[in-house]
Amino acid sequence: MQKKLAPFQQLMDYVDNFQSYNQLVGIAEIARRYFAMNAFDGVLTTIGVLVGNYLAGVRDVSIPIRIGVATSIAMGVSGLWGAYLTESAERRRELLELEKVSLIDQSDTKIGRASRLAIIVVSAVDSLAPFLAAMVVLLPLFFDSMIGNVMITYALSIAMALLSLFGLGLFLGRISQGNLLGYGIRTLLAGVVAIAINFLMGGE
Amino acid sequence: MGNLRRLVLDVLKPLEPNIVELVQRIAALAGVDGVNISIHEIDLKVENAKITVEGNELSYEELKEVIELYGGAIHSIDEVAAGARLIEDVITAQD
Repeated sequence: MQKKLAPFQQLMDYVDNFQSYNQLVGIAEIARRYFAMNAFDGVLTTIGVLVGNYLAGVRDVSIPIRIGVATSIAMGVSGLWGAYLTESAERRRELLELEKVSLIDQSDTKIGRASRLAIIVVSAVDSLAPFLAAMVVLLPLFFDSMIGNVMITYALSIAMALLSLFGLGLFLGRISQGNLLGYGIRTLLAGVVAIAINFLMGGE
Repeated sequence: MGNLRRLVLDVLKPLEPNIVELVQRIAALAGVDGVNISIHEIDLKVENAKITVEGNELSYEELKEVIELYGGAIHSIDEVAAGARLIEDVITAQD
């Protein structure tokens, strides 16, 4: 019984100590950075999928849906693997440096636990941010039969993408306590530039 | 077992978690009446702390566990006192 409760108890301990772990290794700050960076990637990649399909003359939305979903899954997996490997390596190096000077095993101390939690949280954020951002952009495609016009569906998806980019800009503006609108416009501009270059290069 | 009343430990610990957190965690241990942590030396990543704990029926093992949880290593036990009442170190003519 004690054994069965142990992992749950451990999880509860992690939850209870989250604030303290966050202060120790700055989990929220890194997660926030990864979220903004990867959601931005997710939206722009999906803009590429949408514009590419549109320019290729694809008018059956099931194709961009499949490509978009497959791409978002790949981005999610890439985020998970990439963040897990890089964060593990970085955290391990930091812990080893601390072990060298303190001369004790730090793996089961508060700082060791905080580092492990940081790896899990950052990997999850890095994985979910591009996946969810891509799915938000693709959302109108799922309602194409209700919308009735594929051009409007494409336009709605692009509008959703630009709105997401603007939202991300506001998020970054709020973090930096800077000009919200300025940040919103700058991120929005990235989407406009991506669309414009695609149209210039691939226009019929 | 005799009533352990005072422990003075020399501890090497990482700079983070800081001593504010550690002192409160030790103060919450059973039997602890008061704790004092003073820093004697600070390095790039670690610091030397003198931890003084007083109370009734103190548990050295529990204290050691907390210090290790905070990444610290006990270098030496510098002073201990146990029994029905607290006895201070006596200065003799030889000192």
